[in-house]
Amino acid sequence: MNLTTYSTDSAGLQAFYEAIINAHETYAPVEKFGKYDFKKVDSLAGCDPDSPIPQTMSVKSLFFPKSAKVMKYTATSEGTELSDTTEDPLAGKRVVLGVKHCDARGLQVLDAVYKWDYIDTDYEKRRENTILISPRCDQAVTHCFCTSLDYDVENLDAMDVAVIHVGDGKVYLQARTEKGKNFLKENNKGLSAANGAAKEEMKKQYDKFAGSFRLSMDYKEINEKMQDKFDSPAFEEVSSNCVSCNTCAFVCPTCHCFKISDEKIRDKGVRYKSYDSCNNVYFTLMAGGHNPRPVKYRRWRQRSMHKFVYYKERFGVNLCIGCGKCTISCPVNISIFEVVNKVVNTMQE
Amino acid sequence: MICTIDKIIQETPDIRTYRLKFREESLTEQFNWMPGQFVEFSLLGSGECTFCIASSATRKGAFDCSIKRAGIVTADIHRDLDEGDEVGIRGPYGNWFPLKDLKGKNLLFVGGGIGLAPLRSLIQYAIDNRSDYADFTILYGARTSADLCYKEELEEWKNNESLQMILTIDKPEDTWKEHVGVVPKILEEVVKPKVENTKVITCGPPIMIKYTLMSLDKLGFAPKDVITTLEMKMQCGLGKCGRCNIGSTYVCKDGPVFTYEELNTLPDEF
Repeated sequence: MNLTTYSTDSAGLQAFYEAIINAHETYAPVEKFGKYDFKKVDSLAGCDPDSPIPQTMSVKSLFFPKSAKVMKYTATSEGTELSDTTEDPLAGKRVVLGVKHCDARGLQVLDAVYKWDYIDTDYEKRRENTILISPRCDQAVTHCFCTSLDYDVENLDAMDVAVIHVGDGKVYLQARTEKGKNFLKENNKGLSAANGAAKEEMKKQYDKFAGSFRLSMDYKEINEKMQDKFDSPAFEEVSSNCVSCNTCAFVCPTCHCFKISDEKIRDKGVRYKSYDSCNNVYFTLMAGGHNPRPVKYRRWRQRSMHKFVYYKERFGVNLCIGCGKCTISCPVNISIFEVVNKVVNTMQE
Repeated sequence: MICTIDKIIQETPDIRTYRLKFREESLTEQFNWMPGQFVEFSLLGSGECTFCIASSATRKGAFDCSIKRAGIVTADIHRDLDEGDEVGIRGPYGNWFPLKDLKGKNLLFVGGGIGLAPLRSLIQYAIDNRSDYADFTILYGARTSADLCYKEELEEWKNNESLQMILTIDKPEDTWKEHVGVVPKILEEVVKPKVENTKVITCGPPIMIKYTLMSLDKLGFAPKDVITTLEMKMQCGLGKCGRCNIGSTYVCKDGPVFTYEELNTLPDEF
């Protein structure tokens, strides 16, 4: 695809964002107590699309909500009546600003599971109706390791429009999908066509970014070695501090396990679909008491193996994108990066 | 889809069979399933549970779910549901017994307790297509005679001359005239199945499965000829919610029916 590139400066970018917020339903990272989550915004004042701080919460909640009603029912004297829930608040046409690239790639990973076999139409519609506008990161922070995971920093196809700050207040905007291209055609306030220097300057920015990582690992080696590590004693060690709070799964851009539960008041009730986690002791507990993963290390083993082996085996992509969100939010500082490295490097008897 | 409970049969002190009919009659014709598949059964307000369909689609009009009182939802089902009440059904989901591979073979069913429920769908199917199969043997056991499911049907199967039916209970009882002893023991000492051209279909409590597999191995059965159906915590049935994962396998999509050979390739987590 021929990539359309526009250029602008800081003030032009602000004008571009403002025009979008005025014209479209827009979501952007909003700060609260030093942490960022995606909220609906109506002016640029309350939000910060280009913040270098990684968002605490993942953008996945705009596509796969924390808790959603899937069905309502009423019991009447004539029988049970089922009704669909009220309109999906996330289904309309909308724009999301400030999605970190790792987060956007997380959505690509989710697409694999949501689009195999049974197709989740709600998810599909939300994806189709959303334009992702995301800044290319300038610098990796403490727990980032996305470049270690089979990822080419020049491939920005997970975003519809990439925003690249090349320094000195100069900014390039590049449409990376057909959807993004059409969007920029109609929404280009503050932008002008980029000149020939763009390619080179952007490449420089990518290289600078790629050179800023503290963490790195050999993904191919990890993926290969993990396959034989099912019985590794290291799982017990790495999971011993875990308090099973499930925060890692809730903030993870690719964790997608959910539970279905009913709530009822007298004759009326609602069925919910909400986040769940394989770190939860009840996750696989069956009626009658049998639990295939009754202890913590087994649940951590499932988590790590699912992320680095099973999902890849099934869907061809890795289930961890190296964003570091789980590590940042973990109350006991368990890092998935350290976990897999330890597992791979622990000798087995 | 809403179903009405047509009939409740108390099988054992803690197992009941619910015979279900669709509220909208047009669905009865549309709803088709293969032996071994399962449905998601909702008691609205309590939640959803996974149950196998315990009857065969060759006997249309209604279908059975046999439910053992074990957890929260099943306790609510036993307590709250009466004949005529309505429940929600989604399905059918999952794979089914490999009917093609079974054709022309000797069938040996080995069941224990509630484990007869998933086998029953295939047993009924095979009885209705009896000419497709060679020898037909059912070995079924339970802890006590009161714990045997489908008592009327067991009687029927016993009187059916085209199949051999062997019943056993774990401990002797005064009025019990059939075999006594655990299933694997009876399998080795009484049934003594021939290995050639035979497929074994087994389901039961984990401890029975464990020793049955050892016995079958001793008798010379190849893992690929032993078929079982797995129990796993499931919720969505659609390959999304992630809890039935064993390795990269989704039990709800790739299972619940597996051969023992396939199970050997999976991580030991079931």
